[in-house]
Amino acid sequence: MLTYDVLIVGSGGAGLYAALKSRMEEDLQVAVLTKVYPTRSHTGAAQGGVNAALANKDATDTWQDHWFDTVKGSDYLADQDAAELMCREAPEVIREMEHWGCPFDRTEEGKIAQRPFGGASKIRACYAADKIGHVMLHTLYEQGIRRGVNYFNEWMTLSLLHDGQRCLGVNALDIRSGKLQTIQAKAVILATGGYGRVYWNRTSNAYGNTGDGVALAYRAGLPLKDIEFVQFHPTGLRRTGILMSEGARGEGGYLLNALGERFMSRYAPEKMELGPRDMVSRAIETEVREGRGGPDGEVFLDLVHLGKERILERLPQIRELCCGFEGVDPLEEPIPIKPTAHYSMGGISTDINGLTPIEGVYAAGESGCVSVHGANRLGGNSLLDILVFGRRAGNHATEYARQTDIQPMLQNPLAPAETCIKALMDGESSETIADIRRDLGNLMAKKAGIYRNAADLTEGQAGLAELKARYKRLKIKDKSQAFNTELTTALELGNLLDLAEIVVEGALVRQESRGSHYREDFPQRNDKDWLVHTVATRGRDERPVLHFEPVKITQFQPEARTY
Amino acid sequence: MTEKITPKREKLLANLRVQRYTPGKDRAPYFDNFKVEVETGMTVLEALRYIKDTQDGSLTFRAFCRSAICGSCTVVVNGNPVLACSTQLMPILKDFGKASVTITPLQRLPILRDLVVDIDPVIEKLAKMHPYLMENRDRIPETLEQESLMSQKELSEFNYITDCILCSACFSACSTVKVDDNYAGPLTIAKAYRYSVDARDSFRGMRIQAAMDQGLWSCVQCRKCINVCPKDTRPADSIRHMRRIAIDDGIHDTPGSRRAKAYTDDVEKIGQVNKPMLPVIVHGTKGWAAIEAAEAALAKHGLEPTRQVCTLPGQEGAAKIYAKVREIEKKEKA
Amino acid sequence: MIEQQYNDDKLHYAFYSGCCFQGTDARFFDILQQVFDKVDVELHLIPDAVCCGAGVIEERSELTSLSINARNMASAEKMGLPFYTPCSTCFNVISNVQKRLGEEAKLFDQVNEILAEDGIEYKGDCKLTHTLWMLAQDVGLEKLKERITNPLNGIRVASYYGCHTRNPADIQKYESSQNPTSLEDILKVLGVEIVDYETRDDCCGYHLTWPNNQLSQKMTSSVLQGAHKQNVDLMVTSCPLCFKNLDGVQPKALAAAGQDFELPVLFLPELVGLACGMSSSDMKLDFHNVPVNVRL
Repeated sequence: MLTYDVLIVGSGGAGLYAALKSRMEEDLQVAVLTKVYPTRSHTGAAQGGVNAALANKDATDTWQDHWFDTVKGSDYLADQDAAELMCREAPEVIREMEHWGCPFDRTEEGKIAQRPFGGASKIRACYAADKIGHVMLHTLYEQGIRRGVNYFNEWMTLSLLHDGQRCLGVNALDIRSGKLQTIQAKAVILATGGYGRVYWNRTSNAYGNTGDGVALAYRAGLPLKDIEFVQFHPTGLRRTGILMSEGARGEGGYLLNALGERFMSRYAPEKMELGPRDMVSRAIETEVREGRGGPDGEVFLDLVHLGKERILERLPQIRELCCGFEGVDPLEEPIPIKPTAHYSMGGISTDINGLTPIEGVYAAGESGCVSVHGANRLGGNSLLDILVFGRRAGNHATEYARQTDIQPMLQNPLAPAETCIKALMDGESSETIADIRRDLGNLMAKKAGIYRNAADLTEGQAGLAELKARYKRLKIKDKSQAFNTELTTALELGNLLDLAEIVVEGALVRQESRGSHYREDFPQRNDKDWLVHTVATRGRDERPVLHFEPVKITQFQPEARTY
Repeated sequence: MTEKITPKREKLLANLRVQRYTPGKDRAPYFDNFKVEVETGMTVLEALRYIKDTQDGSLTFRAFCRSAICGSCTVVVNGNPVLACSTQLMPILKDFGKASVTITPLQRLPILRDLVVDIDPVIEKLAKMHPYLMENRDRIPETLEQESLMSQKELSEFNYITDCILCSACFSACSTVKVDDNYAGPLTIAKAYRYSVDARDSFRGMRIQAAMDQGLWSCVQCRKCINVCPKDTRPADSIRHMRRIAIDDGIHDTPGSRRAKAYTDDVEKIGQVNKPMLPVIVHGTKGWAAIEAAEAALAKHGLEPTRQVCTLPGQEGAAKIYAKVREIEKKEKA
Repeated sequence: MIEQQYNDDKLHYAFYSGCCFQGTDARFFDILQQVFDKVDVELHLIPDAVCCGAGVIEERSELTSLSINARNMASAEKMGLPFYTPCSTCFNVISNVQKRLGEEAKLFDQVNEILAEDGIEYKGDCKLTHTLWMLAQDVGLEKLKERITNPLNGIRVASYYGCHTRNPADIQKYESSQNPTSLEDILKVLGVEIVDYETRDDCCGYHLTWPNNQLSQKMTSSVLQGAHKQNVDLMVTSCPLCFKNLDGVQPKALAAAGQDFELPVLFLPELVGLACGMSSSDMKLDFHNVPVNVRL
């Protein structure tokens, strides 16, 4: 049986940083399992910046300022000790990245350059043109090559194995050969990213951001936290959900409905297009609901009046994205857009070291929830989260692995994974992955999207129950073993259904509005009753059971969140 | 004054001819034809996904970010390696004038299934180039209290190469990869160059050696890689730069370096390359046989053999340029 | 650009010959002038041009390559004529220089500073063209057709562009890089039958002749084998360097690949000349390394 001291599932920023930290201790066997190749991970899509109070641009910036901005941005749901730690450690992890060769843009003095970002009181987003995530990911991958990290590419993890107390390992599918294997490990770090794909057709996420690690942990009995909080970004391209940066509105773009009106005058007459993200998303939803959207339920981002020179100089990438992915040239026509599910604040519940209730099992990055982002994440803090907590989990897992022996593996550990695959492969069915997935996406967008209310969410519950029943009947048609992507997408769909259920559950129970969670029937924030984390575990009947844990308030008393 | 917005969206029924192959099951690759209603904005990837979702679930291809940043979805469309996710179908159908496109997997790499190829050979070649920073302790502090200082100008020496997403389109299109399994491929040499000129690095010599071991002078400069790179990283340019720093660092003894030196010096001295003498300049005494053969060919046609070429009238002007450039480059090094 | 006035119906070009018109290739110089005379084109040799460096000089010094080619272009600018070269690599290198200097203001200024020492000013505005587009677009297919006196009907031809008029796509705006048609358009007018073959888009390997001769020959033989499979009578290329390789190195390359056939290769202006009534001996076809055993 393959055996490792530290096994990392997921090869984005968090997973790769953890792997490097572990591998630096050359006596340990470290492996990364990824269902793609490391440089394909979604970390690479991050564009804007990574926050750290380096004070290179604004000498008055401190990690304490950053801490406050983060807590306020979270609508006070972030655990303040975790947020403190993240902001305090930020400068160090950024510098470590730089020492490893990350090509940050520079100030006149040759220091790491920083720029302003949404929700930040001081200028602290470190950047590399508009590709910070991409260069960070490649830097980490390349250093991994240097250090001899073992990469198991195109291996999809199916089960997390533990004995109720300690980590044992995982079951994984080698996609290339189609063979299942149990891999023993003293420590496992789950770092598989977010679950934005529950909103299947309305997300900026990659196809594979199906919350695999989060679902695995859930099915293994681990608690998940704050799953109902999913951040929507107002401007995603109509066909694909690909993000159109806020910069386009910053440069003076207009948001128009199908009648050609600048509709933001109805919702934020002063700030217009530059209102906060959740407000703009809600405005767009309302316009479409009230029948003023385009033929595909879209609105339009109009840049034509900015003129050719301005667009080519300031917004060339936006233009490339529109032409390449929507077939529209913003020099000539308005861009069709829809709000897009962007970031999953929720995830596997961990402490500040990324540790779950099972010894040796960790989570880090978007798939973890410490929580540092609470109900709403600040731009630039996600890349920071993966570095800080990837590092911490890596360090802690390494120490743990040093002090532990390999535990005896369960009897017949592969059985659950084999059963699961057999259930999907044996037989025929009229259900298809595409149908269930499309229906899931539509259901979630309509019943648990930007606007939520009790009636819709209850219907959502029923709808999901039906989808889960349909999924149980699903049989895939491709019976081959080798590189069976119909199988892997079916498995991913199963993960999405589990997580969608918890989103709806949490949204229904939380009778308040906070951050990205907006209840039309409870439009105010309610700190008295709801300054708590929603914690979900899997019940006997396979439905989520919710309980609540208090938010750690150490420094900042909750205030009204105005900008 | 508002005007109703009616977006222009066209539709066209097209045929997608896609290569299929399951090793171990099929004897050889074959083609399947799929009918797809293509509309404005639809990409090759969307069409493939539509086929997989509604017509043939076994159609296998890679895809992840669908926004041209992860590099997973490279395929060959009508003979051209492209990112499926950012390649619009409507313009291709119109450009080729036929309502049909052919989609095949990347070339020169083993097929794992249908449009999925094994990219491990590319990764292995990349790994041999030491594609990572090796700290130059003169630049990078020992502790994490400070970042290393670097100017934006130093960054711009290599920054464009960091756009590379390892999509391997260049590898698939490369003329030398086609004829030589040992050749490293454009993206790997570009990465070797990227780190070699990063001011914080200390491993340049090792990378030059690694590049030479894997064919630094095997690139024919056909520039197909520049054509197909979706990120405009211009690998063929990086290969010429890598050759330049290799020669600067003292690699003078390869045929490629000798050619570079001969061309450069000849143009300064006589305004053109002394082609008749090149065999000896590049290959040493072995070259005389070639010179003699060439002279015999000339004699056959009644032409005078010559080991010289005339000095072009423009030589003086060129020589002045060389002198001035030498001055400038000296100043820049200081 | 100083407008030179020529009171005739001809097209005038500043002629940049490239360096491969020497030794046995010196004949191409004369042939080009005679052929273009047939289509009312007059070539004016750029008097003080130097070798473009073929991109190889960039392996020593980029700035030198940029400057000497800016100087080459400045000469044409001074002559007030569009810049024509029959060599694909010269076209590629010089177009790339024009493009780069057009995009990078600092570089443009630096190069002009260097040229100023000799009283030269580079403006960057001359039109750059190559035989393909000079014939297909400037002269035009209609006029070319009028001058054909010896249509080459019934001859099966493999058309070959080579790489440097196609890659990268941004060096010229005359036609698509992926789907060029100028060569075939010209050949059709000459009357030949164009045959498609699988190695049409492959590189002939010329520029590996010195650094890696073995790989170069592999590429050459591969291109020839692909055309041979289609039973063509001859191959025509618009690039003189491809011609040197495909004709000059053919026997060696095919022998090294264990192949035993001969495929005559012509350089485009040769075929144009023949179609316009010039004879095989005018074209000095017996200078070819591979005998041109086709009735033309």
